[in-house]
Amino acid sequence: MRPFYGALAGAGALLLAGMSTVQAATEIEFWHAMSGALGERVDELVKKFNDSQKDYVVKAIGKGTYDEVLNGTIAAYRAKRQPEIVQSNERSFLTMVNSGAIVSTTELMAQQGHPVEVSKFIAPVVSYYAIDGKLQAMPFNSSTPILFYNRDHFKAAGFDKPGATWQELEPQLDAIKAKGVSKCAMVLPGDYEWSFLENYSAVNDIPYATKRNGMDGLDTNFVFNKGKLVGQVERMKRLVSSGVMQLAGQGIIPIQLFTSGECSTIIASTASHAAVVAAAKFDWSAAELPYEQGVTPRNSVIGGAALWTLKGHTPEKYKAVAAFYDFLAKTDTQVWWHQATGYVPVTTAAYDAAKAQGYYQKNPTREIAVVQLMRGTPSDNSLGFRIGNSNQINVAIMEEVSAAFLGKKPVQQALDDAVSRGNEALRRYEQLNAGKK
Amino acid sequence: MKKMRQNKETENFRVSEKRGNALAVAAGGAGFRLRPPLRRLLPMRLLPKSAGDGRAESGLKRAHFQEWRLPFWLLAPQLFILLLFFFIPSIRALIQAFQLTDPFGATTQWVGFQNFERLFRSNVYWSSAQVTLIFTLAQNLLTLSVALLLAFASNHILRGRGAYRTVLLLPYAIAPAIAGIMLAFLFNPRVGPVAHMLQGIGLDWDPNRNSWHALALIVMAASWKHICYNYIFLVAALLSVPQSILESAYLDGAGPIQRFLRISLPMIAPTLFFLIVINFVYGLFETFAIVDATTRGGPAGATSILVYKVYQDGFVTLDLGSSAAQSVVLMALALFLTFAQFRFVERRVNYSV
Repeated sequence: MRPFYGALAGAGALLLAGMSTVQAATEIEFWHAMSGALGERVDELVKKFNDSQKDYVVKAIGKGTYDEVLNGTIAAYRAKRQPEIVQSNERSFLTMVNSGAIVSTTELMAQQGHPVEVSKFIAPVVSYYAIDGKLQAMPFNSSTPILFYNRDHFKAAGFDKPGATWQELEPQLDAIKAKGVSKCAMVLPGDYEWSFLENYSAVNDIPYATKRNGMDGLDTNFVFNKGKLVGQVERMKRLVSSGVMQLAGQGIIPIQLFTSGECSTIIASTASHAAVVAAAKFDWSAAELPYEQGVTPRNSVIGGAALWTLKGHTPEKYKAVAAFYDFLAKTDTQVWWHQATGYVPVTTAAYDAAKAQGYYQKNPTREIAVVQLMRGTPSDNSLGFRIGNSNQINVAIMEEVSAAFLGKKPVQQALDDAVSRGNEALRRYEQLNAGKK
Repeated sequence: MKKMRQNKETENFRVSEKRGNALAVAAGGAGFRLRPPLRRLLPMRLLPKSAGDGRAESGLKRAHFQEWRLPFWLLAPQLFILLLFFFIPSIRALIQAFQLTDPFGATTQWVGFQNFERLFRSNVYWSSAQVTLIFTLAQNLLTLSVALLLAFASNHILRGRGAYRTVLLLPYAIAPAIAGIMLAFLFNPRVGPVAHMLQGIGLDWDPNRNSWHALALIVMAASWKHICYNYIFLVAALLSVPQSILESAYLDGAGPIQRFLRISLPMIAPTLFFLIVINFVYGLFETFAIVDATTRGGPAGATSILVYKVYQDGFVTLDLGSSAAQSVVLMALALFLTFAQFRFVERRVNYSV
């Protein structure tokens, strides 16, 4: 019996010792939506932070897609078991701001003695995530759509590179199909409401919703059912019905159809660089988003996500959060993250540093997104989007627009329906959040 | 007076025997074998007095308890699970159906019937109801007929009967999401081998654009998963058809198909009825994972059946009020359907096998 008790005591002592070392460092949880290669990069990033100091430990936990992370966070918050940090995508901005569940990043950093200067972040990121010059969330993985293309296919069809405008690009896509170079000249991305509609309206400087796309208040209304956007959906319809643009559908991700060499082009997030570099076995390149002939293209808008700090934790935990954010904003971290993932650097210093390294000379496609995001002065139509109930509206718009390009509804009617369904959801959001920003 | 009571009692008894029979048939004709072990396990005082007291009870009716505590505790775990996973969520859904609420619960407003009004005004909801109707009927028909065919066929095979049955049951063990993704891939018009085969025979197969193809795909996916379930019950039911009747039909010169249609089929009617009810419930409530994995309700909402909309509006788009209202409507619909089936279809089912 004795040796048994001895062993038990020993185990107990070990357990206590183990616990005390864990307790020495403050542990915080970080829920994210990065999977595959990007998930591995997040783990590396967190390891870098944990190794860089001894006081704090960040635990990164992948919780699925953005929707699933948000759902999990809501459930956890209602059960009072929320993590300290959660990654949420750009369109959930208002949902998060008005949730009453978050601590604004500017406030947090000021309290913890790491004041953030908003001016060090790039403009399109600030205009999205800051209200009255105060960052609501910590900018993290920001992207923007660009045009990836298969250079072999373009050469085979007799083109040097894709045209800059839709008017030049469309005949090229038609030719690729007609000459039999590829059966699929373009594949429709899964997030086309972002790349084909929202970014289209920003780049071509046309209003998507009133009140500067919602920036000036919740009483905004959608207006994308007229003018150039109708033309854009007509174009999508023509490309789809002629078979020039293919739909990936379920069971496969659109970018896979590009990287496998089946489809010649895709308009996708610059973060797709990770997938393209890993899988494409042909000569590929990328270009800026096509725009309408005769337009001076504006900046595109960001996608991706930011890190939100949730309420209800102890000051020590917030100290850890602030230290982690401080680490994220460091130029070295940003440069590494930008190069490892394909997301854009969120600070101007990081962009300058990458440039000084000569990184863009070796990897010219990595700079396209940054240049496209920063070109010119943002107009009222290219500042970004501040739309309530955005998840609902997103689904409704995609349903109607796909009905249009699949030929189930006339384009104009589909867009009118999308606008009225969207506006209904906006009014509901306004009703619930009366008096908020 | 006494006579009337007795009549009533015998009627009750008949009803319970009916149910018992249906269950017994459903459970593979094994009959109710609960009693003897129960008798051994429980102290005498808890059990009904037997034959001596002059009340002619038998079958299920006899297995009742005279005291409430033991049955209560025996039922408690099940009741607790029901409370936790059915009653509490149902009541919360009912409350939420009359509210407009922020997903994080920061703001909640009572809005009366606004959520329901919005639902019934929405064309999208009505077209979803229409799709659901087609989907549920098609799924029910396909599942039942294929399961019946397989049960009939495997009953006529002697060699390796067990192996066939095992293989036929396997799909039931596959998670709906996996089944859905697999079918989505196999039938993907760009990369799927089955889709290529269909295109090879000249069919312009494309569930990404064609609503009917997409609908066919989810009917197929949902049925494929559920055929096994139907199959188990049908095999058991077919086994319980008395051999003597089949043999006498055989002697009268009836072939296998005739014997099946004229004798077996009417005799397994209770099981068929039970399966129809179950298939409706399955189609209405349990198919959202399959839809999510196979088509995500697309193209353009063409396969967004009611239960998928509940899921999508609640968990993807965070429109909690509408999602709750939809689930209340769906629950009412399921109750109504089950009631209607018992009221109108069950009358035509013959239980006296």
